[in-house]
Amino acid sequence: MSRFKRWTAALLALLFLFVMAPAAAFAEGEDHILIYAQVPEDWQAPHIWAWADDGTNAFAAWPGEAMEADPDNPGWYRCWVPAAATNIIINASEGTVQTTDQKIEAKNTWFTIAGPEEVTVSYDQQTQGELPEYVATFKIHAQVPESWQDVGLWAWLDPDGTNAFDPWPGKAMAAGEDGWYTASAPVWVNRIIVNGNGGEVQTEDLSIDPAEIWVTVAEDGSAEFTYNDPNAPVAEDITVRVKAPADWAGPCLWAWSAPDGTNAFTAWPGEPLEDTGDGWLTLTVPGWVNSLIVNGSEGSVQTGDLSVEPGKDVWIVVTDAENAAVSYEEPADAASAPDSAAAPAAEPEAPAEETGGMAAGGIVAIVVVVILVAGGVFLAMKKKKS
Amino acid sequence: MKRLFAALLSLCLAAALLTACGAPAADPDGPVTITIWHDKEDEVAAVLQEELDQLAPEIQVKLERKDGLTDSLKMVGNDPNAAPDMYFFAHDKIGVFAEMGILAPITDFVDEETLTGYLPMTIEAATYKGEIYQLPLYFETLLYMYNRLYMSDDEVPATTEELYAYMEQTTQGGHYGFVEQHSTAYYAAGWLHAFGGYILNSEGQPGLDDPNTVRALEYHKKFVSLMPTEGEYATVNTLFREGKAHSTIGGPWLVPTAREAGIDLGIAPMPVVDETGNPIAPYSGVQGIHVLKVAAERKHDAILKVLDVLTGDSVGTAIAAASGCAPARESCYEDPAVAEDEMVMAMYETAQNAVPMPNVPEMDVMWTVSENLLVEVNMQGADPQTSAAAAQQQALSLIEQMQ
Repeated sequence: MSRFKRWTAALLALLFLFVMAPAAAFAEGEDHILIYAQVPEDWQAPHIWAWADDGTNAFAAWPGEAMEADPDNPGWYRCWVPAAATNIIINASEGTVQTTDQKIEAKNTWFTIAGPEEVTVSYDQQTQGELPEYVATFKIHAQVPESWQDVGLWAWLDPDGTNAFDPWPGKAMAAGEDGWYTASAPVWVNRIIVNGNGGEVQTEDLSIDPAEIWVTVAEDGSAEFTYNDPNAPVAEDITVRVKAPADWAGPCLWAWSAPDGTNAFTAWPGEPLEDTGDGWLTLTVPGWVNSLIVNGSEGSVQTGDLSVEPGKDVWIVVTDAENAAVSYEEPADAASAPDSAAAPAAEPEAPAEETGGMAAGGIVAIVVVVILVAGGVFLAMKKKKS
Repeated sequence: MKRLFAALLSLCLAAALLTACGAPAADPDGPVTITIWHDKEDEVAAVLQEELDQLAPEIQVKLERKDGLTDSLKMVGNDPNAAPDMYFFAHDKIGVFAEMGILAPITDFVDEETLTGYLPMTIEAATYKGEIYQLPLYFETLLYMYNRLYMSDDEVPATTEELYAYMEQTTQGGHYGFVEQHSTAYYAAGWLHAFGGYILNSEGQPGLDDPNTVRALEYHKKFVSLMPTEGEYATVNTLFREGKAHSTIGGPWLVPTAREAGIDLGIAPMPVVDETGNPIAPYSGVQGIHVLKVAAERKHDAILKVLDVLTGDSVGTAIAAASGCAPARESCYEDPAVAEDEMVMAMYETAQNAVPMPNVPEMDVMWTVSENLLVEVNMQGADPQTSAAAAQQQALSLIEQMQ
C-alpha cells in the first residue's frame, strides 16, 4: 500500500509539474506597466528580462526585449512589460552586463543604474513629459542579403497613411545570432518595408497581418514571408508501418498536421503503402505529421483520424474501419494481429444508464444480498431447530 | 424446510425486483419526482434547475446529464421503469421518436395561445406531421465571426464575392482570410440553402442532385481552394483561436474560447451570395423540452407545472445571460440585457434566414452521405454533378432500407 502511495505521490508530482510548469509568455490582453531605465554610458543596447513570481517569463529568450530610447529624455530607455511580471533584470551589451534581480510593484517603475548592484528604484516619474499609452506590438524578423547593412523597418497603416516610425528609414532592426534581424511594430500597422544601407535598398510594400512574421529578402529586393517560424526544429521523416484488413484493396495512407491542416500528400486517398515483405505495409512521411488515416479500396473504406506523436516511427494495426491500434514500438503480438492487437479507434459511447429503475448491476447486487439474507435466515432457523 | 426456504427466497427476490425496477409508489399527496435527461453544458442546466426548484417540495425536478442520450432513449424510451419523464435536447430527433411512439404532444400540456409567443421558426422546428412535440427554450445557429485585429468592422464582407476577394488578398504566409468546416454537412448546408438547394426537405426527400444544390457545390469550391484542405472542427477552430484566420463561420460554442484567447471578436450577418441575393443560411437547432408518453398520464399534473415554469420569460433571459443562447420566446427580446447582447442578437438576426434542421427520421442517414459528397467534391476534386447524382442514389437507397 505504501508503494502505491509513493507511486501516486510521484504521479501527482509529475502531473503538478506538468500543469504548473512556467509558461513561456503571458496571455494576450494582460495589463502592462512601463519600465524606464537610465543606464551607464558603456552599457550598449539595453534589454529587459522580466518574469512573474510563478516563473512565467515575459519574453521568449534571454536577454529579453530591447528597450527603446526615449527621444524626449536622453539617456533613458523604456519598455512595456506585463503587470504581473514583478521581477526585473536590466541588461546590456548582449547580456554581458546586468543588474541584480529587482523586485518591483505592479506599477510604472524608473530604474537609475550606476552599476550592476547600484540600482535605485522609483515609482515616481523621473522623466519629463507625458507617459506614452500602451500599444501592443508584434515582432518582425527579416533575413536580408549580405550586402545590406544597417537594416531598418518602415511600417504604416494603409490606406490611412499613419507611419509607425519617423523619419525614413524607420526603426533599426537588431541583428540576431541566427542571422535574422528583428524589430517590433505596433499592431495597428498593415504594411511594412524592410530596408538596408540607410534606406538605399528596400523591399516592395508588403501587406501583412499584425502577427509575428518572418520575411526573407532576396538580392533583388523581392521578399516572401511566413507567419510560421522557419527556424522551428524540423522533425525528421518517420516510417509508418501498417497491418490492414485483407479485404482492403491497395491500402493507402493519408497524413497531415493538425490543427493547421497541412497535408503530406496532394490528393486523397494519399500514397499507397508498400509491402516490404516483413508482414508490414510501410511508408515514409514527414516528421511533422501528427494525424493519419489508413484507407483502402481507393479510399472507400478508412479508419477514423488517428492522432500520432510527431517525429516518432509508428506501427498501426487496423482490424476494421472502427478499430485501429497505434503503438510506437513493434507490437509483440503483431504476428497474430490484427485481431489481437486491435483496440477501438474511438471511445464507445457510455452505456445507457437507467433513471426510472435501476441499473442491471444494482439489481444483481440486490439479488445477491437477498440470497445471502435468505441463506442466513435459513441457517438461523436450521440452527434453532437443531 | 426446502420448500420454506424456496418460498422465502422467491418472496425476497420478488420484493427486491419490485423495489429495484418499479416506479415510486404513487402517493397522490406526496412529492413527485420529475426526471429530465439532457446533454447541455452546466451553465444551462443550472439555470433550468434553479427555475424548477421553485416547484419543490411538491415537485422535485432532477436534471440528469446523459451521454448518448438519443441512443438511450431509443432503447428505453417506452419503458416506464427506465425512461425519464422528459428530456431536453435539440429538435432534430423529434421525427425519430415520434415515429417510435414515445413522445407526447406538447399541446397536451401547453395551450396553443401560449405557443403563439414563440418565434415561428422554433415552433416550426418543433412540429412533426402536424403535432408540436417540443417546448422550445432557445435556439442556436452558426455565426459569421471575425478577428478585429485583422479585419476591421468596415472590411466585413457583405457579399460572398467580397469575401472571396478578401480571401485572395489575405490568405498568405500561413494565415487565412476565412476558414470553415467546408466538408461538414452541417456547415456546408448554409451555402446550399442560399442557392435554394437542400440536403433533405420537410417531406424527407433528399435533394443532393437538385440543380440548385449542384450549383452551390460548384460555386463553393473556389472558396474551399483558399482554405486548408483539412476542414474539420479542430483545424478550423484552432486556426481562428490562434489568430491564424481572419474570419470563420462557427457556432456560439466558439465564442468563449476565442475571447479567452484574447481575440477581439466581431460578429456580423452572413454574407449574401451575389448570384442569388440570398445570405448564407445555416441550419438552426432548437433546444427544448420533450415529454415522454410513458410519463404523460402518470405524472400529468406535475409535468403541467414544470412546463408552466418553463414557459416564463425568466428561463429564456437567464439562459441567454448564462451561455449567450438566443431565447425562443419573442418577449425575451424586450429585456434590455438580451437586446444588448451582441452575440444573442446576431444569432437572432441570422435565425431570420436560418433553416431548422430537418426533424424527419430520414435525416439520420443523410449526414454521412452528404459528407462523403462534400469530401469528394472539395477534397478529391470530383465533379459535383456526377458525385451529387451518385450520392442522391445512395441516399434514396438508404432511405428505402429504413422504411
